[in-house]
Amino acid sequence: MLSYIASRAQVILVGEDASAGSLSVVSAAALSLAATILVFLFLPSLALPVLGVFVIVTAIGWATHQSEMARLLTLIATVLTVLTVAFITYFLFASAFPAFREHSAGLLAVPLDSNGNVRWFFFLEAVLPVGETQAVWNPSGGVYSLLPAIWATVIVTVIAGAVAGPLGLMGALYIAEIASDRVREIIKPAVEILAGIPSIVYGFIGFQVLNSFVQDAFLDQQASFLIAGLVVGVMALPTVVSVAEDAISSVPSSMSDGSVAMGATEWQTMKSISIPAAFSGISAGVILGLGRAIGETMAVAAIMAAGTGLSDPLFDVFDQSVTLTSRIATSYGDASESTVEVLFVAGVMLFVIVAGMSVIAQYIERRMKRKLKGNA
Amino acid sequence: MSEAYVRETTLVTDDSDYFERVLDGTVGLSLVSFVVGIAALADVIALGATGSELGRPLLTLAVAAVGGVGVVAICDRLGLVSITSQRATNAATGVVVSLLALTALAFAAEMTLARLFGITLLVQAVAVVSAGAASRFDVADTTPDPSAGLLAGLAFGAIGLIFGAAIGGSLVGFDSTLLAGVPTWVVVTLASGVGMTVVTVLPREDIGSTLPAALIVGALGVTVTTAAVGVGWQWNPETIDGGFTGGVVVPLFVLFGSMVAGWAASKARAGFGARGRQLGAFYVVNVNAALIVTVMITIVVFVAVKGIGYAFHGFAIGALSGLVVLAPLFVLALQWARGPAGTARWNSTVRQLVRVTPLAAVGALAAVLLGVLATGRTLDYPFTYTVQVNREPVVLDTSLAITPALEIGNLLLIISGGFLAVYFLRKYGTLRNVGNKSDRLVTVRRLVPRAIGGLLLAGVIIAILGRSPAGIPLSETVGSGLVLAGALAAVAFTVSPLAAVGFGDGTRRERAEQAARVVSVSLFSALGLLTTAVLLESLSGANPSLGPVNIVPVLALVATAAAGCFALICALTLRKTDDANLRRILRNEGTLGLAAASGFVALFGLHIALTQAAYIAGPVRIGLTGSLSWPMALEAYKPLGPQPGGIWPAVVGTIWLVTGASAFAVPLGVGAAIFLTEYAEQGRATALVEIATNALWSTPSVVFGLFGAAFILPRLGGDESLLAGMLVLGFMLLPLVLITSREAIKSVPDEYRDASAALGVSRWETIRSVVLPAAMPGVVTGVILGVGRIAGETAPLILVLGSTLNSTRAIDVIGGFRFLNQPPFIINDALTQASAALPTQVWAVISAGVSGSPSMGWASAFLLLTVVLGFYAVGIVTRTYFRRKLNYE
Repeated sequence: MLSYIASRAQVILVGEDASAGSLSVVSAAALSLAATILVFLFLPSLALPVLGVFVIVTAIGWATHQSEMARLLTLIATVLTVLTVAFITYFLFASAFPAFREHSAGLLAVPLDSNGNVRWFFFLEAVLPVGETQAVWNPSGGVYSLLPAIWATVIVTVIAGAVAGPLGLMGALYIAEIASDRVREIIKPAVEILAGIPSIVYGFIGFQVLNSFVQDAFLDQQASFLIAGLVVGVMALPTVVSVAEDAISSVPSSMSDGSVAMGATEWQTMKSISIPAAFSGISAGVILGLGRAIGETMAVAAIMAAGTGLSDPLFDVFDQSVTLTSRIATSYGDASESTVEVLFVAGVMLFVIVAGMSVIAQYIERRMKRKLKGNA
Repeated sequence: MSEAYVRETTLVTDDSDYFERVLDGTVGLSLVSFVVGIAALADVIALGATGSELGRPLLTLAVAAVGGVGVVAICDRLGLVSITSQRATNAATGVVVSLLALTALAFAAEMTLARLFGITLLVQAVAVVSAGAASRFDVADTTPDPSAGLLAGLAFGAIGLIFGAAIGGSLVGFDSTLLAGVPTWVVVTLASGVGMTVVTVLPREDIGSTLPAALIVGALGVTVTTAAVGVGWQWNPETIDGGFTGGVVVPLFVLFGSMVAGWAASKARAGFGARGRQLGAFYVVNVNAALIVTVMITIVVFVAVKGIGYAFHGFAIGALSGLVVLAPLFVLALQWARGPAGTARWNSTVRQLVRVTPLAAVGALAAVLLGVLATGRTLDYPFTYTVQVNREPVVLDTSLAITPALEIGNLLLIISGGFLAVYFLRKYGTLRNVGNKSDRLVTVRRLVPRAIGGLLLAGVIIAILGRSPAGIPLSETVGSGLVLAGALAAVAFTVSPLAAVGFGDGTRRERAEQAARVVSVSLFSALGLLTTAVLLESLSGANPSLGPVNIVPVLALVATAAAGCFALICALTLRKTDDANLRRILRNEGTLGLAAASGFVALFGLHIALTQAAYIAGPVRIGLTGSLSWPMALEAYKPLGPQPGGIWPAVVGTIWLVTGASAFAVPLGVGAAIFLTEYAEQGRATALVEIATNALWSTPSVVFGLFGAAFILPRLGGDESLLAGMLVLGFMLLPLVLITSREAIKSVPDEYRDASAALGVSRWETIRSVVLPAAMPGVVTGVILGVGRIAGETAPLILVLGSTLNSTRAIDVIGGFRFLNQPPFIINDALTQASAALPTQVWAVISAGVSGSPSMGWASAFLLLTVVLGFYAVGIVTRTYFRRKLNYE
């Protein structure tokens, strides 16, 4: 058993066709790196010298057994990448855990209205706990309900999806099927550049221009979900366009050629062949776009940072409230320790939801690719 | 069937009939109302405008349209371009006619833009419904289907529901009830929805797709024309926070109405049926695509217009520095102008014009700069910008200027020279196996690397021993001597090819060929030796001088001149040579000469940077500071100055953040990609890693910030710090680098690996010399695009880097390193301090509220946008370049 483990470890470390003598130097390097990580975790001030040892050992190994060392270094890079994911998950949950334990379901408390009755929230007050006051976020009073932030995230995401979904699908259709090669060469990078505009720039435009526009055009004294949702929709648009365009382009040309050969027009081919065949890919694009909309921070924080409570009535798109992301960004700076723990709960929610959406989207995409290859 | 054949023949005829012309014109009209509607929504043209206030912007649009269409029409008549599409011709005519008509109406009849919109909608409705009628009663030749289809029916039904609710609610009110307590408005709503569906689905397609559309557009038109919803209209429900005003509702009505009308008209134009549905759908998709691109351009232009004035206040550059900047541009423009210009006659003229334009522009700029130098007068373009002083806007006068200053900064020389050296070295092919061999040359080739190594070793020893160990002035004497020896040898090596080609037996052409080996060996040796000498200066602190004149820069200039002369001789010889082989050799020699010359210039700059000693030759001063003045980007905030300074600390912070993040993420990401693609067995584990990295890629950035705050900050001392920001951005960059590198490595064909393995090359050697070079373009593109994204990232930085407004001091990372004699031996205070960065600078302006200066915010946003989009542009261009190269070679 022990020898089996040892031989497996050897294969993992140096591969199957290692040269003699490489094992010692490779394991020395691996051990010193493991030591570096451990020291960084528990005694961070000493991490640098230990890292120096690793560098020296690696340099020696590079000079003597280059190919094994290269393999080890790429292996280390992989392990570190996986460790990053693991650390992010672990530290988020670990930092949020005290708040979970202390407040448990109170983090989702439904507030009272001005008459002292429970606010209507989809009849969920049967399941969710009920807060004691109208306030939902009052760190000094120990009231931490994330419910308004979650609801705000939902509204913003729905508006963003209503903007980005249809427009994104049409944009993808245009790029994939209608545009000529030359136009495509211009418009595709243009969409990519749209994705590249930093969110803080959108936020600044929203903060400086759109808010006053809302006050004139929508008789609204403050920022609103509507504007935040529209801006986030524009920001999510490129994601939807590029993923959906990939999906439509990956429909084998034999399928659409067959349709055209039967005498169908281009639009009939798109409507009846390309879009149905790429439907799952398009929905993956929409899911990823919604994921971006949920995780969008700075634009939302810049446009509506002042709201605090649950919007009243619930579907009032002219109200404002912080979302999960902007709650973190705006409250973190001057937050007490217990508040920070609650903010980590918000982070965990975002992380789980968005990562889950990404995994679902990937699953859908993979299934579609398999199907289109004909071995579903 | 026979009908279809008839349609086919009419399609290829050039003429379009009256029916089609009117409908194309309607499409043109709906496009016009769409564009003007957007202008009204953005409040560019006020809805309440009347008379000339309204007529003037419309006239401008009309003139623009007439000009645009007119140029194309004239070119068409002259045969320069050929417009074959009747549809485009008709629609363009429609645009021009409707714009002219609208302008005339605006001037003639005293009516507001809102009413004009209403009339436009009504005209569209009438056109659409008469097209349907014409088709139904067989006046026009169309091929409609039996029904418009359930999809259209449901869509119109949904619109009908909304309309019914609005009409029922506003006309009858929400309170009245019909029998059995059912509210009236619900009945109206349902009736309208069902009625719309029935009208769409039941009749033949020509009626089914025009009548409901006309009803909707007409209803909107009537509402707007009668000012039921007009300029001053407001609806402010008490239950919700906001309300609706005519200012936004009317334009939205117009946008929606003209979209529907345009769709219906396009559909009717193509004679309904499959072809009609295609044209209708394409109309909507095309307008949508145009809208997306417009939004993008608007955002970028808007930020630029808002920020550019402040961003360039007090921008000035010396004419001489400008010339140095122009040198690389000149070479690039020259390269562009040398390209082939096509064959067809008038095409080639235009292309040649396009090719030489940059060269001409460079020449013009150079002439202007020389003029400034010659006259000694500053050339400036004054403008004003607004700043916020004590929350009051203050207008400051400033200008863009080209000054006759004769100062050049060392950095400029290094960048310009280095760029040119790299450029020429890439152009340089090879001189291997050309020219005479000699034993002496072999000896030199062997000795020069040793000499360079020896000099460097000596430098390191001097640096370790200190400037004067045991009282012996080691660096002064030994260091200066070694530096001098190296630099002199470099000059000797530069002069030797000049001598070998310029003088000796035989013709110059023969000498150039025979001396090829000498040229390559000596020029490369000279570059190596001079670089070593300059580095040695920095290591030993020596700067040999003769009286007041520093020797190394003089020698560098001599070398530059010698290499330049050599290149010139090669060029002159090249002109008289026809032999293709000899031309190739001469061209290579000349290019190498130019590379050496520009390399020497860069080393000259490096010498000044390392010795901190300016070089003064007559009026020209080459020093540590140049004559470029750009307060916004290159100066820190000045709290009480007359001019507010800029955001230099934020620029420096962003540069370091991006550098640190890339240094962390790129090796890790590429390494992991290599392992996962080349070493690991493809299976469950690799798929899992892939899914995890993809999920990491879409994780919200603020979550990364939280992770940094929980994991990194406590381990780096607990305070917000630059290093933490680098690491967090590195974590964000990691998945993208991994994903794109994996894709690039995967797309290297397996034949490459097989061929390499068949030659007995080991796996690592294959990866290093076959797979990675082939995958490099993809990797580089991915890294550039990823860096562009993290450069603009704000949310995590707020948590781990801190955001400061009006930072007055830039962080000094290079000067922050200190060595200790106890663990951890090396520390850097700068890395563990908070710093400003471009995105957090913008956020600081927002969170400062009224005390933040909006104009500074716009300028910062503009600079940030420029940096980020610059990365994106470079990335996209790189990708296109390599893709073309892969496809055509």
